[in-house]
Amino acid sequence: MTQHEGTVHGIARLRDKTTLREILEVATSFEASARDFYTDLAPKVSKRIRYLVEELAAEEQRHFDLFNDLAQRTDLHEQIQQEIDTPASDSQFSDCLHLPHLGEAPDDQEVLQYAMGREHTAMVHYGELAETTPPGPICDLFHYLASEETKHKLELEKLYYQLVHRGGGV
Amino acid sequence: MSDIDYKQRGSLLNPLRSLGFFGRPPVTQPLEPRPASINYRGFHLNDWEKCVGCGTCQKVCDNAAISMVHIPDLPADPAKGVRPERPAIDYGRCCWCGLCVDICPTGALALSREYVHTCVDADLSSYFILPDSHGIHGQPYEKGWAKTADADLISLLREPMPELEPEQRIENFDEIVGGYDPQQALLEASRCVQCGMCHDACPTHMHAPQYIRAIWEGKLEEAVGWIYQTNPFAHICGRVCTRRCETACSIGHRGEPIAIRWLKRYAMDAIPHERVKQIAAAGRCETPSGQRVAIVGAGPAGLTCAFDLAKQGHAVTVFEALSQPGGMTRWGIPEYRLPYDRIDRDIDVIQSLGVEIRCNTRIGSDITLEELHQQYDAVLIALGLQMGRGTRIPGSDHPQVRRAVDLLRQATAGEEFGTPQSAVVIGGGNVAMDIARTLARLQRQRFGTAQVTITALEELSHFLADPVEIKEAHEEGITILPARGPREVVVEDGNLVGLATWRVTSIFDEQGRFSPTYDQEDAQIHTAEMVVEAIGQMSDTGLLGDELTERLAWNRGRLQVDSDGRTSEAWLWAAGDMVRGPDVVSAVADGHRVAASIHAALSAAKEQNP
Amino acid sequence: MRPENYQAVSHPPSHEYEVFFGPNHPGIEGNYALKVRLHGDEVTAARADGGYLHRGFEKLMEGRLWIQNIALVPRICVPDPVPMEVCYSLAIEALGGLEVPERAQWIRVMQLELSRIAAHLFTFGGNAATTGMYTPMFWGIADRDLILDLFEELSGGRVYHIYNIPGGVRRDLPEGYLKRVSDTLDYIESRLPDYDNLMFTNQVFVRRATGVGIMTQEQALDWGVTGPNLRATGLPFDVRRDDPYLIYDQLEFDVPVEEAGDAWARTLVRRAELKQSLRILRQVVARLPEIDGPIRAPIPNPLAWNLPLGDVYTRVESSKGELAYYVVSNGGDKPWRVHVRGPSAMHAVQVLEHLVTGARIEDVAQIMFSLDACPPEVDR
Repeated sequence: MTQHEGTVHGIARLRDKTTLREILEVATSFEASARDFYTDLAPKVSKRIRYLVEELAAEEQRHFDLFNDLAQRTDLHEQIQQEIDTPASDSQFSDCLHLPHLGEAPDDQEVLQYAMGREHTAMVHYGELAETTPPGPICDLFHYLASEETKHKLELEKLYYQLVHRGGGV
Repeated sequence: MSDIDYKQRGSLLNPLRSLGFFGRPPVTQPLEPRPASINYRGFHLNDWEKCVGCGTCQKVCDNAAISMVHIPDLPADPAKGVRPERPAIDYGRCCWCGLCVDICPTGALALSREYVHTCVDADLSSYFILPDSHGIHGQPYEKGWAKTADADLISLLREPMPELEPEQRIENFDEIVGGYDPQQALLEASRCVQCGMCHDACPTHMHAPQYIRAIWEGKLEEAVGWIYQTNPFAHICGRVCTRRCETACSIGHRGEPIAIRWLKRYAMDAIPHERVKQIAAAGRCETPSGQRVAIVGAGPAGLTCAFDLAKQGHAVTVFEALSQPGGMTRWGIPEYRLPYDRIDRDIDVIQSLGVEIRCNTRIGSDITLEELHQQYDAVLIALGLQMGRGTRIPGSDHPQVRRAVDLLRQATAGEEFGTPQSAVVIGGGNVAMDIARTLARLQRQRFGTAQVTITALEELSHFLADPVEIKEAHEEGITILPARGPREVVVEDGNLVGLATWRVTSIFDEQGRFSPTYDQEDAQIHTAEMVVEAIGQMSDTGLLGDELTERLAWNRGRLQVDSDGRTSEAWLWAAGDMVRGPDVVSAVADGHRVAASIHAALSAAKEQNP
Repeated sequence: MRPENYQAVSHPPSHEYEVFFGPNHPGIEGNYALKVRLHGDEVTAARADGGYLHRGFEKLMEGRLWIQNIALVPRICVPDPVPMEVCYSLAIEALGGLEVPERAQWIRVMQLELSRIAAHLFTFGGNAATTGMYTPMFWGIADRDLILDLFEELSGGRVYHIYNIPGGVRRDLPEGYLKRVSDTLDYIESRLPDYDNLMFTNQVFVRRATGVGIMTQEQALDWGVTGPNLRATGLPFDVRRDDPYLIYDQLEFDVPVEEAGDAWARTLVRRAELKQSLRILRQVVARLPEIDGPIRAPIPNPLAWNLPLGDVYTRVESSKGELAYYVVSNGGDKPWRVHVRGPSAMHAVQVLEHLVTGARIEDVAQIMFSLDACPPEVDR
């Protein structure tokens, strides 16, 4: 199993960090591992639904780039504060879905369920870290990361609705 | 008799009394134009926001003073019945009768109280204008002659359709809609203004204006001829079409659109079946091409393609996995909406052209796709969306959680699936309405009462189902709970006892995409013995096999086809719901498109290897 | 003069010569010509020459939908357009079995009588002008304009009202309309003494008109003369009373007649009729507010409206005489044939040629105008 923000080990790694840049580096590595996970998965699924896995990989790459760029900025903290002024809120739409085990031949619905579950866990964990960290730049960064994961989850939920509930057509 | 006693009073001096007028002030009139009256019929005004470019003004104009002008910058929206055309008026011809105003379906046209326009020879073209709401000279003149209810020449109300009352229909599968009688059909057809918006909006571009006109003229065989030019699913679309035509109908802007679907149904029902077959065969090529086409799936797309190709002289064989042809129209749509004998008629017409349909033949087990590829000159797959999606919420793997499409298929086949005393349906589309109303009928037949609840994520106004379906479901005693999100199937001691839902609060994002948000404060449990999932559908593309699946190009989960329906494999075409999404008439349109492409490919192949 | 109507006189004696009346002449409303052969001052032969206003309406109507023709018919008789609209509509209603609502019938009568007054005022003016009196002409046209104002307010058009439609009328009355009608009637009534002084009791006019262009009742009946021209020969025939249409049978009015059959008698009948029209309009103004209800029977979509196979003849009394439409439907959405039986065709051709022959040159215009023929309706 890869190491990502949804594992206990991942959380433990974050708790030890004391600077914004260090935290962002770890968060970035989570995105990279997610990207690699989807990239590995893509050739294993049916070509019919491969677009979905590829899109997920591309999305993780986009997050990877976003965090990487952020880490390079000198006005890092101001940026984050601006972002968390309007945090995304969870819709809970997908929370009642089973988190599937992706077997050998997952279908598109399973892949999406899995991806939403991952984002959900990340959202929760970053949220917990924010709650347990004293106010300050680091707490803000966790809030920011939680909000980013929530946004991603919301996007996936819309896609899920379209695919599964709205006539579908696939 | 005269009341003037001129002989007595007549005097040479009488006229001199009029000299008194010299003492009165002279009558003077100002040079500028006198204000016109409130109803004045002056120059045209046209509200471009309301005008849809239907051209009805042009038709009623007795002087041919109106031309419809294409305006490149205007939006075109055939689905909504909006054409980027606006009327231009030639004031060298206009007689200001105002019939254009009185007939304007949208009420966009009016005549203003402005009446002076003059010019030198060089500007003679200024008598040809494209009126907008600012008037001929951009001066603020009020409306004069404008649309009033008294003067409206459009009949806004539809001929009522005789239908079974709820109490007459809730215990049986009899067809609800009775159909027009000849007089009603004539009156309904006479409402049409022949704008052709319906034709533009229809996926298969049916000649609705022509067949409506033919019905109005009493030439029903001609009407059937027009119908068969674009749609061999004539009986079926006369009953269950999604009727984009009526959404686009110009009359619908202020009134009830023409009942185009019911008129088609009327024409089809009025002509004897054997005669319909003769009409449908018109234009058939009598010389066999010697080429063979295999079609997988006997639904609207596959059979439309078969119809076209058979008419063009090709030998067509259709492979159908189920026991009877018709696809979703037979296995998905309940009989009270679409009687099976009407499906049989449409299919009989297609078969009468020489199309061979092999039922109970599943590709993959009975014959492989590769064999078809080897034995036929072209292969079309038109599989439809036969598999229902599941919600995959906790408990949804319970045996009493069923998929709507499966139940509807079993109901059509007359199979016993264990009608529950109470059921909850998840979904807000037509399939949800179909299964709910079917279950309610079966419940009444078996238990004397019905208890079916529909829960859907969407608000009622955003249901995918046809509003008529929703209304009729209500009438039949079905409880519809909008904005409820399925949370969990409640199972106690291994028995299904109901469905737990949360309220859905949120709704559409900036891009118009639905993002359901649950309010956990508002939880409910709907008790039922069975939960039916009637959400999305998908196609079973397993018959393609791993190797072909990998070779083919895909587009977001659907087989990628070019604009003619051809896949990335030259011998293989795909059509219908599996590439376009669920809709009968779109599938028919797709069938035509693909048939044209296959015919062109076969003809080209023949030329190369005569 | 158009070639087909012109035969050059070969070697005319020096005291015989030809005079062309028209086609632009004040003796008649519109373009119309009369070629007279004179022997000294006396007319020895006359030839009517119409056709300058031929627009082929009857043929045009065959190519247009039933409803489109409402825009054509008022053009057939420009000075008195309402009877054209109403008569055509009556024909379509009879063919299509349409019941015109009562309110619409009253509104139609109101327009018909307003139109009659306007037409008569116009004729008075023209008639006076033929004897050299131009003041009544200015008065007539100015006072007629007040009625045109009423038509403009009602229908949006001053001359071509296009207001009557098969089934009824196109608009209900504007707010306060009947009050303005009533005011206009008061005004016109107040003007009658002025007209009497200047024209109808003016001995110059009376003597110029008396004994001119005499036609006997027998001749009038033989020639198909109708309207004021017929009533001026002593026969009290009026379609409104003798074959009532709309709600004329609910109205009180007299049918004025004169016995002499000359130009003066014809003028006097019109003068008396004007007063009867005022009387009718007073009744309409009083009754119309009580009559509620729709102003038009429902009609089908005009673009898809077939009238049953059949033919119909409808007639009304216009200011010029009996106006009728003969309409044939072959079951289609357009007339198969329309024939307009206008009063002016007889008056302006056969009758005029007869009456002018033997008259003096200075009376020719007077005779023409006293017949009150309408050239656009002759030519159609």
